[in-house]
Amino acid sequence: MKVAFWPGCVSKGACPELYVSTKAIAGPLGLELKELESAPCTGAGVLSEQNPPLADALNGLTLAMAESEGASLMTICSTCQGVLSQHNHYLKNDKERMERANATLAPQGFTYRGTTTVKHMLWMLFEDIGIDRVAAAIKRKLTGLKVAPFYGCYILRPSEALGLKERPERKTYLEKLIALLGAEPVEYRGATKCCGFPMATFNRDKALAMGGNHISEAKEKGADVLVTPCPLCHLNLDAQQPDAARVIKKTLDVPIFHLPQLLGLAFGMEPDELRLNHHVVSTKGVLEKVELKV
Amino acid sequence: MTKDHDVIVLGAGLAGMRAALEAARHGADVAIVTKVHPIRSHSSAAQGGINAAIGETDSWESHAFDTVKGSDYLADQDAVEVMTQEAPGDIIEFEHMGVIFYRGPDGKLGTRAFGGASQARTYFVGDITGQALLVTLYDQILKAGVKVYEEWFATSLYMENGGCRGLVAIEMVTGELHLLRAKAVVVASGGLGRLYEPSTNALICTGDGYSLAYRAGAPLMDMEMVQYHPTTLAGSGFLMTEAARGEGGYLLNSEGERFMKRYAPNKMELAARDVTSRAEATEIAEGRGIDGNVLLDVRHLGPEVILKKLPQIHEMALDYLGIDMVKDPVPVRPGMHYQMGGIRTDVHGASKIAGLYAAGEVACVSVHGGNRLGANSLLDTIVFGRRSGKASAEYAKQTPASTGGEELLRAEQERLQALLARPYTGETPAGLRLELATMMDAKVGLYRTDAGLHEALDALAGYRKRYATIAVGDKGRVFNQALTFALELGFLLDCGETIIRSAIERKESRGAHTHVEHPDRNDVDWLKHTILTRAADGQAEISFAPVKITRWKPEVRTY
Amino acid sequence: MQFTIEVGRYNPEGIYPDDAAPGQPYPAPWDRSPARRYQTFTVDLPEHAVVLDALIQIREYQDQSLAVRCACRSAICGSCAMWVNGHAHLACKSKLHEFTKDGKTRVESPPSMPLIRDLVCDMAPFWDKHLAVKPWLQNKKPVPPANQEYTVPNASMEELIQEVSCISCGACLMDCESFAVNQEFLGPQALAQAYRYAGDPRDAETKERLGELSKSGGIWDCTHCYECVTQCPKGVAPLEQILKLRRMAVDAGFTDNPGTRHADAFAESVRDSGRLNELTLMPKSIGFFNVVEQLKTLPSAFNLIRAGKLPPLIHKKIPGVNRIKAIFERVGGRFK
Repeated sequence: MKVAFWPGCVSKGACPELYVSTKAIAGPLGLELKELESAPCTGAGVLSEQNPPLADALNGLTLAMAESEGASLMTICSTCQGVLSQHNHYLKNDKERMERANATLAPQGFTYRGTTTVKHMLWMLFEDIGIDRVAAAIKRKLTGLKVAPFYGCYILRPSEALGLKERPERKTYLEKLIALLGAEPVEYRGATKCCGFPMATFNRDKALAMGGNHISEAKEKGADVLVTPCPLCHLNLDAQQPDAARVIKKTLDVPIFHLPQLLGLAFGMEPDELRLNHHVVSTKGVLEKVELKV
Repeated sequence: MTKDHDVIVLGAGLAGMRAALEAARHGADVAIVTKVHPIRSHSSAAQGGINAAIGETDSWESHAFDTVKGSDYLADQDAVEVMTQEAPGDIIEFEHMGVIFYRGPDGKLGTRAFGGASQARTYFVGDITGQALLVTLYDQILKAGVKVYEEWFATSLYMENGGCRGLVAIEMVTGELHLLRAKAVVVASGGLGRLYEPSTNALICTGDGYSLAYRAGAPLMDMEMVQYHPTTLAGSGFLMTEAARGEGGYLLNSEGERFMKRYAPNKMELAARDVTSRAEATEIAEGRGIDGNVLLDVRHLGPEVILKKLPQIHEMALDYLGIDMVKDPVPVRPGMHYQMGGIRTDVHGASKIAGLYAAGEVACVSVHGGNRLGANSLLDTIVFGRRSGKASAEYAKQTPASTGGEELLRAEQERLQALLARPYTGETPAGLRLELATMMDAKVGLYRTDAGLHEALDALAGYRKRYATIAVGDKGRVFNQALTFALELGFLLDCGETIIRSAIERKESRGAHTHVEHPDRNDVDWLKHTILTRAADGQAEISFAPVKITRWKPEVRTY
Repeated sequence: MQFTIEVGRYNPEGIYPDDAAPGQPYPAPWDRSPARRYQTFTVDLPEHAVVLDALIQIREYQDQSLAVRCACRSAICGSCAMWVNGHAHLACKSKLHEFTKDGKTRVESPPSMPLIRDLVCDMAPFWDKHLAVKPWLQNKKPVPPANQEYTVPNASMEELIQEVSCISCGACLMDCESFAVNQEFLGPQALAQAYRYAGDPRDAETKERLGELSKSGGIWDCTHCYECVTQCPKGVAPLEQILKLRRMAVDAGFTDNPGTRHADAFAESVRDSGRLNELTLMPKSIGFFNVVEQLKTLPSAFNLIRAGKLPPLIHKKIPGVNRIKAIFERVGGRFK
């Protein structure tokens, strides 16, 4: 299945392991990734907040690029998904905004007609690729592993633009997937909460406490690992975890997996292929639990 | 613990907070005592709007005439003149406080039509007018720094030498009983809807003020005048604003007919509430209802008007019946809504008892007489709230502080202890309340008969006996709502008794009081107020007072 | 229809029904109230009954000692916000059949608020925040005479209906992520009310308000998680009002704060390279001269380097970056 692939800035920047592991699992899933190399950053909500017409135009450009590929737009980041969904919703439902965005894009040779569907890879697994195909690709059941899902805000809220009213099951995909891979999903409050990243640069200790509390709660509920479909959450939960532990005065040491890394592991791939050695919090314990060595 | 203030206001709805704000402006040390946070007050449920004659095409005389006619000529016309003359100023004041009233294309205040009015003079904020006024006034109270005893439940007024000098109240969070002394007390505690089942009123509308004042010796006036609102939601009985008809909505029977043409050919759906409610009841009784309801149809107004001007009722129909008013008519029926009668006051809110003032629904000035016009209740609260605030502050200035009351505090402590200590008899206060309220709706509702009213009086005497034995199912101190529920039931019994007694007296049909055996209005014998005073032996003593007529002689009332 | 309700009970006097079993304390940051006990009730109600119907029936006929605030029963008075299955909702708007999960509905006071008894929490934090934003009109001069209203377009009044629709139930604050870790944060309701007045054309102190709101605890302490938008029963969408305030504050010149610097650095990076530059975002947001805060981020930077995760030092531009610059140019406004 061909998809227009928007990797997002972070998978090309501070989380290269996400990009690499996504590419790695595309094959087994039968995904043909047509990467939108010249698409711009979504603005991560920051541009939407301060300059809505600008964010309309930038995201309209990405949506138009996907439209001309004649394929759905696939994201691998909850934040990208949220922002693109929102602007897609605005543009499709507000004629004035659509006209203004297209007027901005016209000199660059782009027009968005409003036909693109934006889906996070997590949704595609269930809605397009098919869960049977995922199951068929499993070579190594993650039996005995307790995995805590961590969705990231923008794949859950606001629900209207994300189509959660029509498809409420999207709120449970991570748990279902974890179980499908043979692992045990951990139920805890933090799963749908905020990691703190949006405040990480300007309200650092609060942001760290936010993420740290969720990790701590998951750990108390027995989680060996957290899995997230959002690299920004990953940054706050993994890269900042030692600092978060210091702020909330608790020992954490819970590895955080990107969604494709967990899939890749179940698909029998080697930790190196998935760059599981490129994390701040060591993934060794998890790998040992599924009888692998780094 | 004992606390002293100049003025204590009981109740924090629009009338109470307006009174407190005005008393503070007149230099009084004022405190509000309220059993719920001010924002939870039932004023927030008033949806449609507030009346005033502003602008050159309207006049206060026209507003006053409509009010007097709406009242079926039972309103005191001097009070109606005061209210309608002062209405524009009070509404503008609220606009200056920040209420986001609807504007016309010129940026000036705009109106909508309402029942019983000869002109569109209802000012509004969507269908959340009461809420918009209430939050604005609450914020003014915050700004003025008025002391609020929040979640304090009044159990008794404190009387000293025949004057009202404060009250005793339970602090819910601790369970502690306090004596709050004052030079004047303003009772603004709202209505008594829980006396009827169903009712549009909130669970907190338990007639506290009527009963407290009545027990303290204050006369209650025109208590038989209980308004049934024509459009309350099927099932739950929630209010569906008159603005739905003000904006052009239809009432339909099971044959799809706009039946109001047979009852009020000129005003149609915008006849006064008593007329419209009776028309609906007739349609239903004659077999043209739909499961005991008629239909409110606003579909022709279009989604724009419905969603912008009637969003709250649209949401309620959707939430509680699953009906989208944009697409389907919604079943409604007449339901108990408002008490026109109450603590008898003059135009300054003063009752017959020195130092005791009243304003809002609990008071009877009387501006509503036999039937209140829609959008006159919010107006009543802010005009007479303000007036009673001023009058009570001025009274307080010339009144020395009280130093007594400890005995009452002890007596109340003992009374509550005895209530808490009562053994369980199998009778639940809630069951008794429901029986009482169902009986009131059946026998003292839209239509009344001599036999029914006497049965009601007997039934009430029976309830009183049972009430004397009920036990409180919570023995703790902190937030003991079982205790306050039992006390509220006691208030409701007093209210029920005064309503039934007054209704038995009035042998005619006027406004909301429809007496089957006396179907016509009788101005010769009954152009007068019923007044009930509690005698020393606890019995209700009836007397009468003439209606004040200034310029509008009673006429035949048609719409 | 039979419904099973599990009610969180708490009584500071220590009196509990025998069948109320102790529950687990909540983890941080939802541990602001004492552990409660859970008591299970069965109620017989119509299919479309709401949680509040069940609670009233329990209180009236099964256990009179259950404390619960309620008044209007129709989502107007705002009394009955509480946790229903772990999220803040109005009990009177929550249909039992929709909330029944694994055969029951769990109802309790939100553990993010101090607790008084059973389902009655202490709303003081909520009202304190409301008061803190000076929620009253500071009249623009000249105030029209006493017989005249302000002349303002109806659209400017309609724009505020969304905020005036707030019933102060507190559901947004109860589930606010930022409030959970930051008690100083003014929170969604108070900030929505701040916008209600700052956005009122009759208000004279919009600028002063924006200045206050730009300080610590204000608009920049929101983590932008949309919980408040999801939980608000009246469609107030507090986050959207907070974002409006941020735009207004920046336009009014209140830019000397980490929030604005973050937005500026972010925009600059996208404009010049088409992508986000994580490497410069943090230092630029903190402010290059804020040495103490800069040093605090160093351990993270070392961790990233050790893991081989540090973004490339020379930030790569996307192909066709000139197109992005042109779009910024054409849209104009802020960030041009």
